[in-house]
Amino acid sequence: MTTSPADRLTADHIYATGLRNQWHPVVPSRFVAPGAMRKVTVLGEQWLLFRRSDSTLSMLADRCPHRGAPLSLGKHLGDRVACWYHGLEIETDGTVSSVPGLPGCNLEGKKLVRSLPVREVGGAVLAYFGDDEHPEPAPLTLPEPLTDPDTDSFLCYAEWNGPWRYAVENLLDPMHGAFLHHESHTMFDGDTTAKFRIRETDRGYFFEKTDQRGVNFDWVELCRTGVDWVDLSIPYPPSAGPGGPFGIVGMVCPVDENRTGVFFWRYRKVEGWQRDSWRFLYRTLIEKRHWAVLEQDRVMLEAMPADADQRENLYQHDLGVVRLRRMYRAEAEAQAAAPAH
Amino acid sequence: MTTDWPYLDVHQSRTHEPTPYEYRLASALEEVFTHEGHELADIVRGLNARQVHSPDGAPWTERSFRDEINRLGA
Ligand code: FES
Ligand SMILES: [Fe+2]
Repeated sequence: MTTSPADRLTADHIYATGLRNQWHPVVPSRFVAPGAMRKVTVLGEQWLLFRRSDSTLSMLADRCPHRGAPLSLGKHLGDRVACWYHGLEIETDGTVSSVPGLPGCNLEGKKLVRSLPVREVGGAVLAYFGDDEHPEPAPLTLPEPLTDPDTDSFLCYAEWNGPWRYAVENLLDPMHGAFLHHESHTMFDGDTTAKFRIRETDRGYFFEKTDQRGVNFDWVELCRTGVDWVDLSIPYPPSAGPGGPFGIVGMVCPVDENRTGVFFWRYRKVEGWQRDSWRFLYRTLIEKRHWAVLEQDRVMLEAMPADADQRENLYQHDLGVVRLRRMYRAEAEAQAAAPAH
Repeated sequence: MTTDWPYLDVHQSRTHEPTPYEYRLASALEEVFTHEGHELADIVRGLNARQVHSPDGAPWTERSFRDEINRLGA
């Protein structure tokens, strides 16, 4: 598949639908059972997740190479999918294995459907979205809280109606915790005035309060390690038992210009009976309280006007957001301008 | 699995709606953690003082609490 220069994505489109040449979360793994398939929209494009009964997962463009019918309307044949329209059979790597109406047809054996590299991490599907110049998956370093054996986590996934950037910007805006979440079980405490600073790291940057830590949502780290994610920590009240604060690893799936999938892993460094206690309380009582906090974010972000980021008066607390936007905007421009070979 | 947009599900970590016993134990645990402490000894004392016993009705020991919380929280 080659793209002529005229087909190149514009910077505006990339900015609106998500950066290319990196990994993004797609949906929770449990959304595609063994032997099942699921249609998903990501970066404004239609895809098919296809899982064999041995649990191997693949991700194919949801478009039959014959006349373009959605493969997601087709039939799961165990190790391939058959298009409903004229029966073309597609293997999990995108190769046409059979054209039943015209055996021996020269489409057979050709890899005509785009397939994306996928990985499953902490209960979520991640996929690599390269453009024509960057088909090989970027190196992926996973968030340590999801790989450390002494850290335990639960994934919470939700779908919001709003641009993906607003969901990331919200995470780079710690100060909203002291206001929007003031009535919550975890963020009732801490100063409502603060000074922030940006601290660069080799994988992104911290945006943090200069004078308060461990009280509210006081810092956040943006990490770009092949996939974009944030790390932050929020104190629990004593009722949550031993183990200290809980952390959040957050990722965002750009679904299309106005829809976003959010992935929040709530994690805690706990072992043995302390781990068991947290997990029991989480399922029984705490998960619902975390959900109420997340709903406050959703209500606010979904109510933001479409031109919100064009008519602002920013102040010192918004430096983390400004830095983020500049970075994403510059990268969208660069991806749109890259020369076709 | 529903494919309706938007997916908004409060409970994603549960395998079942907690039983009345599980709810009672969870609230008692939160109380104990709040008022008595975070050590195993605090928990055993706190739960027994509140008469919130294990399913077989026996008072808690550190051993029986560990076993039960592992069954419930693993
Ligand atoms: S469009 Fe799929 S087989 Fe014809
Ligand atoms: Fe929030």
